[in-house]
Amino acid sequence: MNQFTLEARHKSVLIGAVILGVLCLGLTFLFYDDELHSRFWSNYLHNTVFFTGIAFVSLFVLAAFTTAYAGWHTVFKRIWEAYAFFLIPGLVLFLVIIAGIWGHFHHLYHWTNEADVATDRIMLGKSGFLNKYWYTFGTIIIMGTWIFFANKLRSISVEEDLHGTTDYAFHRRIRRWSAAFLPIAGFTSAALIWQWVMSVDAHWYSTLFAWYATASWFVAAMALTIMTLIFLKSRGYYQNVTDEHLHDLGKYMFAFSVFWTYLWFSQYMLIWYGNNGEETIYFRTRLDEYRVLFFGNLLLNFATPFLVLMRNDTKRKFGTLVFASVICFFGHWWDFFLMIKPGVLHTTHEALAHGAEAAADAAHHGGFTAGFTIPGLLEVGTMLGFLGGFLWFALSRLEKAPLTPSNDPYIEESLHHHV
Amino acid sequence: MSAANTEVLYGLYDDEEILLEAVKKAKEDHLEIMDVFTPFPVHGLDPILGLEESRLHIAGFIYGAIGTLTAFLFMTWVFTRDWPIIFGGKPYFSAPAFIPITFEVTVLMASVGMVVTFYTICGMAPGVTNATLDDRITDDKFCIAFNTNGASSDVLDKLKGFFSSTGASEVNSKTI
Repeated sequence: MNQFTLEARHKSVLIGAVILGVLCLGLTFLFYDDELHSRFWSNYLHNTVFFTGIAFVSLFVLAAFTTAYAGWHTVFKRIWEAYAFFLIPGLVLFLVIIAGIWGHFHHLYHWTNEADVATDRIMLGKSGFLNKYWYTFGTIIIMGTWIFFANKLRSISVEEDLHGTTDYAFHRRIRRWSAAFLPIAGFTSAALIWQWVMSVDAHWYSTLFAWYATASWFVAAMALTIMTLIFLKSRGYYQNVTDEHLHDLGKYMFAFSVFWTYLWFSQYMLIWYGNNGEETIYFRTRLDEYRVLFFGNLLLNFATPFLVLMRNDTKRKFGTLVFASVICFFGHWWDFFLMIKPGVLHTTHEALAHGAEAAADAAHHGGFTAGFTIPGLLEVGTMLGFLGGFLWFALSRLEKAPLTPSNDPYIEESLHHHV
Repeated sequence: MSAANTEVLYGLYDDEEILLEAVKKAKEDHLEIMDVFTPFPVHGLDPILGLEESRLHIAGFIYGAIGTLTAFLFMTWVFTRDWPIIFGGKPYFSAPAFIPITFEVTVLMASVGMVVTFYTICGMAPGVTNATLDDRITDDKFCIAFNTNGASSDVLDKLKGFFSSTGASEVNSKTI
């Protein structure tokens, strides 16, 4: 079965998830929110960033593996080609946030408040980058570039199926586009992460934050790939994807979980050692008011994958692999929650209190805030909605081409992959 | 590896594909292979030979855990009990500052421990020479060896027949 068709039953499950997500967002907006709707908007931003990032990483690994002459993934590379197309709905989702910045619908970013920026030296100094023009055109141009490359890699790959010959001209074209994408991906992803996520804490900065967030996306993308592949195998597709391929995907998930921890710790330790007030406040807030999130983050994203996936055989058995994938996927969603929510809550308190001192007071004695202190049911429902939408979109793309490419020079190597 | 004075009959093959087929054939014929020597790891050989997974990595985990505890507890003892010094206004017990060294000692203990364990199991050490069947098995030949201690001429003929039928380029015997 080299041609995937999304069964009606599964399609209705995915559509049901989307409806659940919309319902949760609506309920959040109408009944469970403050007057600025910061819970609604931060949930929206959180999930948009998370799933757009998974699409970006899918495109990035395709380009990186092709450039590195890797062949093992070729048998299922259509999955990543399909994931990468979520960049298009991702851009649409971001346009809503951009519209919100121009129309002042939301207070996600403190730097969008022009009156505050004018009197704040730090935000004034950053205003060359943190302004609505950069946010708007940066997002549109950079995501447009990513979509262009996703489209290129996909269309040449599909064309190769039909017209590919043994001179591998199509593969060489894919290779050139992939190599060109890598440096672009490196710089642009950092720029967008600064804008989308780091600028939520407008006074704060960390130089390795972009790598940290990308590593988080990477693990989540690997976890989702493993779960999708195992699901498709259980439906009779991808019988040519063996334990060997899943073993390598498991290794990627394990290795990048450790890499994520390395970056997490490096960021923490340098700020802790430097003891510079405007930097340490970021962790002070998280340690004082988000203890469960902060230490849960390490438990989910480091301790669990490290101990579960360390052994050889746990990366080859579906049960343990799916367990670790679910934990990692949820864990990195949790990680982005922790990156975004405290900053938004602080900005909201400041905006509501109309004064810096009252805001500081409110922010430090806020106690439990629903939807911010830990993810609630509405947050999980919203995530399931976005996940359903992501998979619906990706699996619909997967239907449009054979599951395993033919005429790719590495297909034989991939079919006989052996760890 | 083996005890002294073992008579060995061994066949050399030119290619790993022929070797794999020969090992399969030997298993089918219930011939007891003493060992197989190859110049590089041959994919798929271990399952055919029925070798168990190495337990070296379990030892590695234990060495690593010992390293973690040693480094972390030692630094904790030094900086809280034995010789407390304030660095940069930090508390005596500053866990984040201990992590890099803990990590390094973990890696060091695990890697050195595994190397020493591996060398001990394989009977290798500086200055130790091990008998080799043929120098070319470290270069370009693939070898199947049978232990022929006290074997009858029937058995020897059967083994030689096996080598010629599976395409061995050379058959030799040696006492090691």
